[in-house]
Amino acid sequence: MNRPMNGVPMVQLFDVTKLYGTNSHWSAGVRNVSLAARSGELVLLLGPSGSGKTTLLTLIAGLIQPTSGTVELFGENILGFTQTALQELRAQRIGFVFQTFHLIDSLTAAENVELALRFGGKTRSQASHRARELLDQLDIGSLSRKLPPTLSQGEKQRVAIARAFANNPDLIIADEPTASLESTQGFEIIRRLRDYARKFSRCVIVASHDARIITFADRIIQLKDGELTVTS
Amino acid sequence: MSLQGTGESTMYSLRILTSQPLRLALTIGGISLCIVLMLLLLGIYRGVADGSVDYIRGNTVDLWVLRRNATNILRGTSILRSVHGQIIAQVQGVRSASAVLLQLSTVKKEGTAATVFLTGFDPLTGVGGPPELVAGRSVHNDSEIVLDKSFAAKYQFEIGDKVEIQDVAFDVVGLSTGTNAFVIQYAFVSLRRAQALAGFPGIVTCFLITCESPDTRSAIAQAIRDELPDLEAYDHETFLQNNIREMESGFLPLLYTIAVIGAVVLTAILSLILSINILERRKDFATMKALGSSGAFLRRLIFELGTLICAASSLAALGVFFPLTMLVEQVTPEISTKSSPEQILYVILVVGLISICSSFISIHRLRRIYPLEAFA
Repeated sequence: MNRPMNGVPMVQLFDVTKLYGTNSHWSAGVRNVSLAARSGELVLLLGPSGSGKTTLLTLIAGLIQPTSGTVELFGENILGFTQTALQELRAQRIGFVFQTFHLIDSLTAAENVELALRFGGKTRSQASHRARELLDQLDIGSLSRKLPPTLSQGEKQRVAIARAFANNPDLIIADEPTASLESTQGFEIIRRLRDYARKFSRCVIVASHDARIITFADRIIQLKDGELTVTS
Repeated sequence: MSLQGTGESTMYSLRILTSQPLRLALTIGGISLCIVLMLLLLGIYRGVADGSVDYIRGNTVDLWVLRRNATNILRGTSILRSVHGQIIAQVQGVRSASAVLLQLSTVKKEGTAATVFLTGFDPLTGVGGPPELVAGRSVHNDSEIVLDKSFAAKYQFEIGDKVEIQDVAFDVVGLSTGTNAFVIQYAFVSLRRAQALAGFPGIVTCFLITCESPDTRSAIAQAIRDELPDLEAYDHETFLQNNIREMESGFLPLLYTIAVIGAVVLTAILSLILSINILERRKDFATMKALGSSGAFLRRLIFELGTLICAASSLAALGVFFPLTMLVEQVTPEISTKSSPEQILYVILVVGLISICSSFISIHRLRRIYPLEAFA
């Protein structure tokens, strides 16, 4: 796959529906959703708990298959991708920030970042150099050898950001990244994500129920009960 | 297998293990004990296998002649008469025919009584006597006895002691080795005294034949069979193998059963430990899957966990095994163990196989961890 150009749609969903359930009972995670997210913009998926934000993110990341509709990433329909192709796509072109950061407690801050770089295909020395560089940029270079349980929430947040930026991904998917943070820290993480999108012409999709961060979004998509209600 | 994250998986495996030192110590302790058990069983087997037939191996003669159907001396009954020796000695090509009488007897000393495999042999020729002496000398007259070294150690008999067999006194004049058949040990007296103790002066168990030329062994064996149809003559190697086979048929099934149970228990323990490690780090595995980790990387991680546990346990087992062996031999001298680098390598290979099996058993848990869980 080629690197995206400026303003090119990087994520496109066409009439996507995801149903959960068994033969006797079905419920919709998302229903008939169509959207596009372009390079250089931070798209905010806003909605209350259970509105389908996380389902939408996991569909975009190729972690689940839609019941109907099409998901295109970087101009290609990913529904036909093999598991290996999807795994390589995630490793090389998508960065993740999880709700509670999900750092690996047994690895140091630097090793957490290096692991993502190694998954992305970097050599050990390249990964080590890049991890140190990223942690320095985020002003936590001195904490590189610390284990996550010894870090504060704010420090963990920066390590998680460093891990998401590690492979310079075309797309960053962030699931409730401000949920476990104070306002200041929450704003900082959103600001960094927005800056990344704008500075490097990348796309960032943030799912949140936190209305305080809407000022940072280039576009807001509201969801309710699995359906897209407002796009602005 | 992808090279993705080579080194990281090892590092992460090490971190997983060292994050809970007490559990790691218990795990290594438990598994190393299983390995020690395997090494000990193998050492005992080798010791018994060699010890049981060292008497035969040490008495290198051309032919062994016994009652027909008695293929060995460990679990065969052969009753011959001394006169058979005179007939055998007249067969052309036979240089000498030495009689040996084997019988179970009780040796007593100041209230201590123990059973031995009492072996009567001709002290003048020494054929059929102790294969190797570690202390003292061999039997010279009817009132002397040579005891097995481990038997003497167990019952605290020493050279110079007086012991009794059926109220007949013997002086202990020597200690032998290669005469410990695990369940019983050999003791040596003169043939005449052994026959007197049996109550049948002309009774013999077997004859040990030396030929004038080893090339004529087969012909002489056939001539003995022709002359004495109730007797059978075996060349030394065949007779040795008969006894080894007899010993193994009685001992090996038990050993194999214990070894298989040990291997199954070890596999179960290791699989359980690996599965617990996977389930406890479910969130980490889901996160790694979401981040794009290859399946090969995660599988390698589990294999390395198993390998690291087994390697550390093997090292710990080797550290414990040799002192433990010495202790076992001190406490129970009749248990003689023999260990070789090949045996140790064999056990470590088996442990490696168990590690691979356990990893395979545990890996299926990975399939039930979904990257989606990182979003929970």
